Amino acid sequence: MTAEQLVRAEERLRHPRPGSKVEAAQRFGIDLTLLIEQLRLSPAERARRMHDVIQVAEAVRGAARRNRT
Amino acid sequence: MNLVTAVQTLVDADVDFVIVGGWSAILHGSSFQTNDLDLCFSRRTENLRRLAKALAPFHPRLRDLPQDVPFVWDEVTLRNGTIFTLSTDCGVIDLLAEVSGLGGFEEVKASSILVRAFDRNVWTLDLPGLIRAKRAAGREKDLKVLPELEGLLEAGQED
Repeated sequence: MTAEQLVRAEERLRHPRPGSKVEAAQRFGIDLTLLIEQLRLSPAERARRMHDVIQVAEAVRGAARRNRT
Repeated sequence: MNLVTAVQTLVDADVDFVIVGGWSAILHGSSFQTNDLDLCFSRRTENLRRLAKALAPFHPRLRDLPQDVPFVWDEVTLRNGTIFTLSTDCGVIDLLAEVSGLGGFEEVKASSILVRAFDRNVWTLDLPGLIRAKRAAGREKDLKVLPELEGLLEAGQED
């Protein structure tokens, strides 16, 4: 995404047009600020962040399992 | 060892595959989490051989197979099926020869883009293709992601 495209996307996510898909996503419960944050990242950074989240979630689940036994 | 290792290994082994599903959504900016890696693979003979060889060190095994039932992981197994739901040493990997709403590997590849991720250049569904696939799959977990993906598509579109 070019800088110009990013500016336009952020604007649309910050101020959804009535009847737009962005507004529908917001009404559905999507946190548009999270999408803005994601779009500022490269695909590699998005993958890295999600990978970190999964690792932490697995560590927490593992700890919970160990505590139960 | 994790899914990143798996992707890197497949790319380094010249396996022809496209990242679909939840990880594709993440690469496009989705905030939904996923635990499994969905890959569409080419069923060309050479590719099946490379795929089987590349994943073998990670001990792939069908998730729904009882532990005491033997499972042979090789190119013949791959040739005889179109969907493999695997648990591996790297995590959960689903291999698909076809994707709902798109078709076989060639159609999937035609709806894909090359992105830099996992320290490699990887193919993943483009956003319109991913939306078509999610809508066609029609499961609750797929439909739940659609509003976000459609919002992302619209936000990024030219005027």
